[in-house]
Amino acid sequence: MRMTFVNTKDQRGSSPVKIVLFLAIVALLFLFPTFVESTYALHIMILIFISIIMGSSWNILGGYTGQYSVGHAAYFGVGAYATMMLMQFKQIPPWYGMWVGMAAALVVALVIGSICFRLRGPYFVLASIAVAEIFRVSALNLKEITNGAEGILATEIPPLKFGETVVTDFLSKVPFYYTGLVGVLVIIAVTWLVQHSKLGYYFQAIREDQDAAHSLGINLNVFKNTALAISAIFTSLAGSLYAVYVGFIDPTTVLALDLSVQIVLICIIGGIGTILGPMIGAVVLVPLSEALRSNIIAEGLISSGLVREDSGLGSFLKENLAHAHVLIYGILVVVVILFMPDGVLGFFKKMAARKGKG
Amino acid sequence: MASILEIKHVSKFFGGLAANSDVSFDMTQGMIMGLIGPNGAGKTTLFNCITGYYPPSRGEVFFNGKLMNGLEPDKVCKLGMARTWQKVRPLAKMSVLDNVMVGALCRTNSLKTAREMAMEQIGVVRLEHKADFLAGGLPIGERKKLEVARVLATKPQLLLLDEVMGGLNPAESEEIIQLILDIKKRGITQMVIEHDMKAIMRISDRIVVLNSGEKLAEGNPEEIVNNPDVVAAYLGTEH
Repeated sequence: MRMTFVNTKDQRGSSPVKIVLFLAIVALLFLFPTFVESTYALHIMILIFISIIMGSSWNILGGYTGQYSVGHAAYFGVGAYATMMLMQFKQIPPWYGMWVGMAAALVVALVIGSICFRLRGPYFVLASIAVAEIFRVSALNLKEITNGAEGILATEIPPLKFGETVVTDFLSKVPFYYTGLVGVLVIIAVTWLVQHSKLGYYFQAIREDQDAAHSLGINLNVFKNTALAISAIFTSLAGSLYAVYVGFIDPTTVLALDLSVQIVLICIIGGIGTILGPMIGAVVLVPLSEALRSNIIAEGLISSGLVREDSGLGSFLKENLAHAHVLIYGILVVVVILFMPDGVLGFFKKMAARKGKG
Repeated sequence: MASILEIKHVSKFFGGLAANSDVSFDMTQGMIMGLIGPNGAGKTTLFNCITGYYPPSRGEVFFNGKLMNGLEPDKVCKLGMARTWQKVRPLAKMSVLDNVMVGALCRTNSLKTAREMAMEQIGVVRLEHKADFLAGGLPIGERKKLEVARVLATKPQLLLLDEVMGGLNPAESEEIIQLILDIKKRGITQMVIEHDMKAIMRISDRIVVLNSGEKLAEGNPEEIVNNPDVVAAYLGTEH
């Protein structure tokens, strides 16, 4: 039985080794921009952070509570649009705008939740997709408010001042790096707190068996909506961060079904229902997708001498492989899901368990 | 003695089919009520009507004098009436202890208190050695015990057990019988659905027999065994 290797002891107390390791990684990440100057490396790290935040947010609803929403782009988009619209049209700085985004996402979540949670299983999934599409189509058509398909381009981010001293003017990637890192630490803390409280137990009970949970005194509506609310708030935060960092949003990037699926994939690839899962998923998926997009495979094959650049195959690959990045990405995802149905984390736990036995 | 549960003229229709029709009986504090009947007699439907899974189509259910019609199962549980499932429903990917803690969290917000309450109930059903095992990996006998421990952890006054001995071997059934009698000693009222006639005659103070959704007979075990209608329902009539 596949479930037998899940370590249930994880829920009770963390070992000192784990805590030290965690603190060391955090310290290293805080120092990272001081010894790495490559803006591309920072760019990748920021994308990973945003992915971790949105993946972990989904994980609270999908992984712990078992409600597979494939419409989380709605909350991501609400955060992105609220922040950008306030910044561009009302000159309200994003560090205020993001709170508005989070509040808006909360309201949206409670409305959507009270309607969609009447449905279970695949019907809930379909409803969540439909709701996200409503948001995308609305953003596309409410041109007066959202600029429609043109999207919103950030012309300038106001400098963050503390009193008279300028903390940062957002000219480099470093402030975004630290914002992302803090966001990641917050979502880890939130997930940890959920897992180590009544909420975590109730969420998991709902995931395992709704009727049994109901008969044990768990109000399904209240706790499903709580999970969705937490999830939506932090997905919105990821959206705000993404919007300000990239500086441009439109309905096809921040409200698309692609994005909803991407959010789910981060968790499924990493391993759902664990704190570590979405982090591993993001660390695997973001560099993978960037590498495929930047033609690293063709260049690697050529420079390693496996394929000669002036041969027919070499030039074909060099010209076309980057265009096929979505295809290759898709194939890799299918392969991972086929061979690691519990995600990368589950796969390695299983390996470790086998090693321990044999 | 005061009635803890009063079922008054309860009917439940699924389309034109009457799964329960005009069922009435009372339960007094501390008793064990056996609920028997052939397959499809409406025993589980009656459980579902009592615990809030279906609203009764007609009739009323009173628990401690309070009308229960229309209350959701979680409210019913909070008020002190809890049920187990004929087809066991372990929270498979959670440990035995965590399963029982989910039940205990109905009465407390503190994980520490819940853990203590859960360990106590796990002790009652003698599953201490399995506390850290995943519920999904337990054999059927232990799953049934887990089901009972989990529901006891919600601190019920009235416990409804739906075929807790189904699929068990005689030794395991005997353990469950002892468990039910232990629970009775602790003052918890119980309603037990069971197909094992020997067992139900041993443990029940009173028995209600359902047949085709209707109450066929009610009485103490001796009265039920000697009731010609009951014998006919189970074995058929003589020609």
